[in-house]
Amino acid sequence: MAKTGMDRLNELKKEIFKCIHCKACRFAYSGEPSRKGIGEFKGKQGTVLYEGMVDSCPAGIEYGWEAFWNAGKIWIARSILSGDLEFTEEVRDVILPCITCGQCSAQCENKIPTVDIIESLRAACVESGVPLIDKHALVDGLVKERNNPYGGAADERFKWAKDAGLDKFVNNKDAKIAYYVGCTASYRQIEVAIATAKLFEQLGMNFTLIEDEVCCGSPFFRIGEVNTAQTLMKKNLEAFKNVKKVYFSCAGCYRTFTIDYPKWMAEGEKLPFKTQHAFELVAKLIQDKKIKFKPNAELKGKVVTYHDPCHTGRHFAIDMEQEMIKESKNLMFDSRKIKQKIDEWFEIPRIILKKLEEDVGIVFKEMYRIKLNSMCCGAGGGVRAGYPDFSLRTASLRCDEANAVGADILTTECPFCWRNLSDSNELYEHDLMVLGILQMITEYELLDILQKPTEADLLGK
Amino acid sequence: MSYKAPDEKDLEAMIGIVGKNYASNNKAITASYLAKSVMGLESQIPDIVVRPKYTEEIRKILIYCSAEKIAVSPISGGLSGGFACPTIKPAGVLLDLGRMNRILEIDEANRYAIVEPGVTNGGLWAYMEKYHPDWAPPIADGAPPAATVMGDAIDRGFSLYTSSVGPQGDNFMCAEIVFPNGDVVRTGSWALPFAKPFYKFGIGPDMWSFLMGSQGALGVVTKAAVKIYPHPKHKTVVAWGMSNPYDMQDLTLEVGHQEFGISHNTVMVQGGNYPLVMTRWPKDKVPHEYEFFKEIGIPEWWMNWECWAQTQEELDYVVKRINSMAEDFKKNRAKDGAAMKPWELHPKQIASRMKKPNKIAVPYSFWDAGFLFITWYTPWNECAEFAEMYNAEMEKRDIPPVMWIASIERCRQAICMPIICFDSTKDEDFEKVQDLNAVTTEYSLKRGWLNYRPDPFIHIQAYYQAGMYWKYLRAFKKLVDPNMIMHPGRLALP
Ligand SMILES: Cc1cc2nc3c(=O)[nH]c(=O)nc-3n(C[C@H](O)[C@H](O)[C@H](O)COP(=O)(O)OP(=O)(O)OC[C@H]3O[C@@H](n4cnc5c(N)ncnc54)[C@H](O)[C@@H]3O)c2cc1C
Ligand code: SF4
Ligand code: SF4
Repeated sequence: MAKTGMDRLNELKKEIFKCIHCKACRFAYSGEPSRKGIGEFKGKQGTVLYEGMVDSCPAGIEYGWEAFWNAGKIWIARSILSGDLEFTEEVRDVILPCITCGQCSAQCENKIPTVDIIESLRAACVESGVPLIDKHALVDGLVKERNNPYGGAADERFKWAKDAGLDKFVNNKDAKIAYYVGCTASYRQIEVAIATAKLFEQLGMNFTLIEDEVCCGSPFFRIGEVNTAQTLMKKNLEAFKNVKKVYFSCAGCYRTFTIDYPKWMAEGEKLPFKTQHAFELVAKLIQDKKIKFKPNAELKGKVVTYHDPCHTGRHFAIDMEQEMIKESKNLMFDSRKIKQKIDEWFEIPRIILKKLEEDVGIVFKEMYRIKLNSMCCGAGGGVRAGYPDFSLRTASLRCDEANAVGADILTTECPFCWRNLSDSNELYEHDLMVLGILQMITEYELLDILQKPTEADLLGK
Repeated sequence: MSYKAPDEKDLEAMIGIVGKNYASNNKAITASYLAKSVMGLESQIPDIVVRPKYTEEIRKILIYCSAEKIAVSPISGGLSGGFACPTIKPAGVLLDLGRMNRILEIDEANRYAIVEPGVTNGGLWAYMEKYHPDWAPPIADGAPPAATVMGDAIDRGFSLYTSSVGPQGDNFMCAEIVFPNGDVVRTGSWALPFAKPFYKFGIGPDMWSFLMGSQGALGVVTKAAVKIYPHPKHKTVVAWGMSNPYDMQDLTLEVGHQEFGISHNTVMVQGGNYPLVMTRWPKDKVPHEYEFFKEIGIPEWWMNWECWAQTQEELDYVVKRINSMAEDFKKNRAKDGAAMKPWELHPKQIASRMKKPNKIAVPYSFWDAGFLFITWYTPWNECAEFAEMYNAEMEKRDIPPVMWIASIERCRQAICMPIICFDSTKDEDFEKVQDLNAVTTEYSLKRGWLNYRPDPFIHIQAYYQAGMYWKYLRAFKKLVDPNMIMHPGRLALP
């Protein structure tokens, strides 16, 4: 039987009651007030001191009230559980403008799974009969009708593939590997879909694009419309049941399949396939010396920075940590291993960027807030759809940070981040070029294959 | 005393003062301020939250609330857990002072910083590191970065320098206070319009000290001058392990007794027992037996001296003196000299102990689901007795005996802090903790020990025992807060 939001909230009760309201979760680098940084920078959204700890909860920064920072929401959840507060539209309007970026969770020394709590709170709010906000109701209607929240025609989902001459991969029945494209790359940032598929093609990968693919459900898990999300999940699980491995180019879809599906699937059920993001494959091939990059005069000398998408970065890191904690018998001993694993995880996109620096001559420069402490792009959690102004201001805060390190190119590895950062770049005139890493590799024809990947390379992990 | 539950008209009045974006009775917003942890388990959701920016706004809010008999509870950072929340119903207005967050002045020559209530420990620390790297503020040593300098003053807490220079209350020079009767009073030398905050006692007597430990029950402090101290680059931590709290107490007292020199170099003197380490991990994911901790080099009891010095030579001397005094104590006066030994800390352990501010005291919820600090002051040479008594009571109730003890003013006082780790989802655990608190309070008051941040339900007996003092406290409150609206319930007032 499908789980309800209230079920999840009750499952999380002990976690919720761990919160001591210490507010460390407001800041990036909350444990490092003496951290050296790049100093003060006057950006489009004001002046930020990139030094020590920095206010980094987008919702708190935008709205100011305690209720919008994470700690406030955890105490709202506790008040709901203890009967001190009931779900109303007032409550909904406080818990919804949160990007579920997980920066709060990364700071919490009590390891409270804040995003899980916030999402369950939203789900329970919806179940209680509080209506969705209009903008969310609209996308919910669209996905129910067309299987994607953009309102694109279902039969045009793979139009980009056909137009790009990649139609042989659509419903390629004998492939054991699938590329799950997702709605944003299918209907909006088709350059990401094309770049990824072409990269796979160049690597000699026999993969399939499955026409029955539907929205992964991410926006609906985030906004609490878990019935819609679970319906989509079931459709995808059915559509992809015959493949061994699914690749992704979208951070949100990857997170949803890998982290959310198992949580919302029935007890004991497991994903029937492995999942991996395309950048993980590229990084592995670099490490195995099977690929390198060609020099490029246009890119040489360009300052490139990288935005860690919350969904591939922090959410995976936190999930990994929670899983390892669960399995640990002696956490005092295992905590170093956990930290190491998280460090390795965040290094993956950096393996590619460092190789691009070595081979292509870009200058890779990190922003102040990176990895676990990265600042969100503002797109997730239903915020882009529901609160577009707030969403774009948050993206601009991130673009400010890229400007602070003198970046020419802001890269990322998620079409949704890409879109929000690009829109904000334009709106607030940050004068950056926003690019997906894989997009950079294919558009500038940088790939130099030294040795074709084996089936084990492609199916492994 | 009865209070009015604020209604829409009162909200309108607040909006009239601070603007519509800064006053709210939205139920999610008011509930978000709740806390039932850290220092207080009982607390109420405020009816209205107001976020003023200026002293004049606060003055108007207090005059209004006083006239309407609406309770007002101020918070700066709100990190004192349940203590930051109203204690009664109707809960009234919660004044969130977080928007008043300017660092107004740093004067290196006269060694003070002037801050507003919302200036956080982390914020001031980072600012000083960047712009005044040779000086540091006395921020609460173990409080998380979002705690404020002001909140700790009013709590008269325990800071990074208090082992050396004295109670945190003594680190504050002058203040600007808004009383509910509408008066704005500047204390110390600030009483004179053009004076710098250079002399706490001003034209005398010292009124600011009256606010120390007031828990928001007397007035709202809108500005304060806090001493700053040298922040030398030569630092280390010396630690000794022992088998019992008495050897920890007596050796530490010998060092503190020096008064000059090394006692002043030891800015932070704090110790405890091995469950302090154990309970920072989930209880089913860490061994409980001391044998395990012994094997990984953690003493059963220990004392750390964090030493700061202007030169390496001076630092080496301090370290050598502490070690030689400890050797001598071990040989000649310790109860269990055989068990005493220097604790050789890894450089990473030293660095983590010296990090300010830090999150070191946050993860005690990780053990189960919630915790409470119950803090007492004792004369230094009675802290071991306190620890023994408290730990026995905790063990009786199946609560891990976690004890942290630090010296204030070169062992004039001990601040003793049992950390009660429990499952706050369970009513029976709440009752167990309250029973522990009641029994130990009775014992402690008989011994003349003082609760550091008295809670309004259990520790409050202390005020009843200090009848004459309390009479004058009430009289002073009546003078500045005639309708008794400030944080009712705190300090057994009204
Ligand atoms: C994990 C942890 C570790 C801690 N370690 C330490 C430590 O090492 N040393 C230490 O001293 N403390 C410690 N504390 C306690 C905490 O630091 C102090 O309670 C904190 O400094 C208070 O600051 P705040 O701004 O959060 O105060 P708040 O919670 O906002 O207020 C504290 C009290 O003062 C009143 N108040 C606040 N501001 C004003 C104002 N402007 N005018 C009038 N009244 C006001 C409030 O009503 C309340 O009663 C710790 C707390 C936690 C959670
Ligand atoms: S979620 Fe964690 S970091 Fe945030 S206030 Fe609660 S205990 Fe502190
Ligand atoms: S998930 Fe992000 S936006 Fe939401 S409360 Fe946490 S830090 Fe703030």
